[in-house]
This record gives sequence, C-alpha cells and structure tokens, in this order.
Amino acid sequence: MESSAIKSGALVSLQDLHQSSPFFKQGASLRVTGKLQEYSVETSIAIVVDGNAKLKINTQHLRDLSFRVNSIYQFIGELLIQPDDEAILQARVGRNVDGIDLNLYHQSLQLLRQFQADHLSTT
Amino acid sequence: MEQLHRLYNTHVKLLAFDLLSLTQTPSHSPSDPISFSRRGTFFFRAETVGTITSRELKPNKFLKFTVDDGTGCIVCVLWLNQLVSPYFSRCSPPSVRLIAQMASHFAAEVRLGVVARVRGRITSYRGAVQITVSDVVVERDPNVETLHWLECMSLASKCFDVRLS
Repeated sequence: MESSAIKSGALVSLQDLHQSSPFFKQGASLRVTGKLQEYSVETSIAIVVDGNAKLKINTQHLRDLSFRVNSIYQFIGELLIQPDDEAILQARVGRNVDGIDLNLYHQSLQLLRQFQADHLSTT
Repeated sequence: MEQLHRLYNTHVKLLAFDLLSLTQTPSHSPSDPISFSRRGTFFFRAETVGTITSRELKPNKFLKFTVDDGTGCIVCVLWLNQLVSPYFSRCSPPSVRLIAQMASHFAAEVRLGVVARVRGRITSYRGAVQITVSDVVVERDPNVETLHWLECMSLASKCFDVRLS
C-alpha cells in the first residue's frame, strides 16, 4: 500500500516498454536504466539504450546532473505516450550509475518480480 | 516474550512493499514498545536503501523525505527539534547538542536523486507505516540497491517467513 503521494517508480528494463506491455501506460511511474546514446542541450532530451531497445528521456526538471555519452544512467519518472505512440519518460530524478553490473541488475530484477508476486499471492 | 523482542535492536532489511504491508501490533500496556508484525514475526526497526524522491524541510522541526527502492515509497521522518524539545530537556546539554548536530548532518546528506541507506524505528502516522530516522548514509556504489534487494529476499525466505518451532 502506497503511504505517500509520491509514486514509486516500477523497475523495468527498456525491453519491457513495448506497446503491448502492462508497463506501457500513460502516466505510469517507472525506473529505467540505460546507456546514454544522445543528449540535446537545446531540448533537454536524452536517448538511452539497452541492447536493441531505446527510450527518450525528458531531463528538463533534473538539476546537478552532467550528461556524458556512453555513460549509464538511471531515471525515475512518468511515461508520456504521444499521439504517434512514441513514449518519453518525464524524469523527476536521475543519476549516473557507471560501474553498475547490468547482468546482475537484470537478473535481480526478475527475482524481485517473482518474490513480489509470490508474496502477494500468499497474503 | 523472547520472540517478541528477538529483533528489538535489529534494523531489519525490508523491501518497501514488505515494510508498508506490516500491521501494528496492539500493545497490552503503555510500556510495551511499539512493534509491527508480518507472519508472526515482530519488527521494531528497519533499514531501507533507495533513491530519495522527495524532500520536505521544516527548519528546526523535521525533515520528511521518501525513499523509493523500486518496490514502494517509504516515508521517512528525521527530527530536527532536539534543541527545543521537552523530551531532550532531561538529557545533558552536550549530548543533546551532539544529537542535534548529527541530525543536521544527516539532513544535509538527504538530496533528491541520491541513493541512501536509512535506518530507524518503524512507526505509524495516520495509519501509514513510516520510518523515524536514526541515521542516513549516502551510497555511491551503483550496485548497492541490487545488493539490498537480494539481501532482503534472502532474509525474508530464510529468517522472517520461517515459522519458529
């Protein structure tokens, strides 16, 4: 049960964000991790990638974060799905996570989902 | 009685969704410590690791912030009123000043977007579980959150969800 107005960013991989995914919802609060492929200072839009998947991130509300291409970043924010079905994450916090073990991260994410599902089914 | 206090001084590592689902144990007397339970295990203190996603400061009163660990958001309250609180007037002034300094230091560490390890007592406010903070450490290693999830899951399956005979 959420105990505050701030919504938790659901842990998702970029591959999870396809149109038929339950995470692909307007306004969904998500936490994403990916390597910075491009960044535009003019538009504050970053593009992060993970394997074959990519996602645009609107970073206009972020402060004290420098953007370096090929570094790995993690963002928490809300998904905005545009009329052409392209999604962009409106980030409210972000950080550089260079050094993260992405294999361990993704494996742990799957374990965590299973753990939560098991606990919800037994309560 | 022994099982009730088994974890009294332990900051138990709990995932946010787990912590937020705890139910407050009815106390049989005013002197009983406030506890929360889940599947027959009683918890008094908790440790969480996650990203700070909100911060609300009332100077010289408290800092209220949220920690998002990916499974939920935990409200944390760090009291900053030690120098004016009647509760601390019973303690020696140098001790109170030290406690106040530490609290002020922790408050400065809490910034939006950082990952922090927060420990404290499990409390409740208006029916919602929260943590009354005793300490905060900013974690810079990007793998600590992953490690925290794994530790929480391991502890839950090996300790907290195991019925003691």
